[in-house]
Amino acid sequence: MTLDAVVWTALVLTAAGSLSVYLLAVRRLYLMRSDRRYSAGGERLATLAAALAAGDLEPANDPAQAELELLAELLARYSRQLTGEARSNIAAFFERHGLIARELAHLGHRRPWRRARAAFLLGDMCSQQAVEPLLRALDDPSRDVRSAAARSLGRLGSGRAVEPLVRALVEQRVPRAVGGHALLTLGSEALGPLRPLILDTEAVVRATAVELVGLLGDANDAGLLTDRLRDSAAEVRAKAARALGRLGAEEATMALREALGDRIGFVRANAAIALGLVGDRASAPALLEMARSDEFDPAHAAARALSRLYPELLWSAARDSTSGPHLAEAADLTAVAR
Amino acid sequence: MSVAMATNGTPLVLVADDDPDILTLVGFRLERAGYEVLPARDGEEALALALERQPDLAILDVMMPKLDGYEVTQRLRDDPATSGMPVILLTARVQEADITRGFEAGADDYIKKPFSPQELRARVQAILGRR
Repeated sequence: MTLDAVVWTALVLTAAGSLSVYLLAVRRLYLMRSDRRYSAGGERLATLAAALAAGDLEPANDPAQAELELLAELLARYSRQLTGEARSNIAAFFERHGLIARELAHLGHRRPWRRARAAFLLGDMCSQQAVEPLLRALDDPSRDVRSAAARSLGRLGSGRAVEPLVRALVEQRVPRAVGGHALLTLGSEALGPLRPLILDTEAVVRATAVELVGLLGDANDAGLLTDRLRDSAAEVRAKAARALGRLGAEEATMALREALGDRIGFVRANAAIALGLVGDRASAPALLEMARSDEFDPAHAAARALSRLYPELLWSAARDSTSGPHLAEAADLTAVAR
Repeated sequence: MSVAMATNGTPLVLVADDDPDILTLVGFRLERAGYEVLPARDGEEALALALERQPDLAILDVMMPKLDGYEVTQRLRDDPATSGMPVILLTARVQEADITRGFEAGADDYIKKPFSPQELRARVQAILGRR
């Protein structure tokens, strides 16, 4: 390499370095200015946003365009903390300023990250205008967009989203945690559309619906769930048993005792757990026998159910050296817990 | 009549939450309803303010840094100066066991998060109206 080439290379590198430092300094100054502007207006805008959410501000008093984005950001955040009329007020703000229309248009953007961002933001804007477009976004080719749409549909609280969300969940178009959380966020609103899905033709849909009704439902759902203890699919029977236990459905104890004799081990295990939760002390002899002689999981579940129902019986049985490991373990754990 | 009301005639409400958005929203709603609001950002600050200013009502988040809402409620109940102060717990934890724990600690009511500002105001008015 000649001396000239070395000199030129050094000059170019120096110039590039200087330019980078200059750009970083400019960017830093810009960010500091933005932060200062944000902090200065933050408190006033926070009060303004709270007033808008409370419906205490006339539309004529809406902010200048320059503050709109900051205010929109605050209101989107506040919407996560609020229910009731405040959410309608927030939706009205976003609709009035064309921000819903803007994000709905972005749902059709060619870049997946932009579509995902729009799907996410729409969930915090509280407008029911977004429900149908978000339902369509559950079929987006991008998993990120589908996940954001599922999350937002949960936030918007529309019963229309329940069946599409359940199907997106069972078809694994959205992550289980995201889809499940969205349905749970819908709360009791989801129950009406969920109940018919308990009788769906697809076993995986029935199982998901049964599980969700167990989490969201009440004693009125016990009959519907008890019938599923005789479902053709073991997964549905197991989820039904678990759901009945969670609901504390005492009227289901006979059916749950029968389920202790199911031919599939994890159904028997879930029935045992449910009887423990329901508090059915009459099932103790069957559980004791199961804990002694069944396969690992059902025997383990039966012993834990006994510890909840009838600790004295458990301790007495565990003293017998032929009782097996599960009773002994459950007895030890119960003694430690006391 | 409580100490706070005796000084300026406006009922004083302590609002404790580590989330500034909640403080803003609750504070705004209560101030608009005619209450004076005393904000706190953690359990220790809430307890100190409650003992010092003796507000007419305390609205406490359950999950707060330093001292949780249950603990603050319990300590308020244990202190003769604040044992009669009404406490509303503001909580995202609405399992039966969590609610029971709140009442066992001495809370008078609880409000579920996310919350309705109208419901919050109505509950505050109901409690203070009874006094």
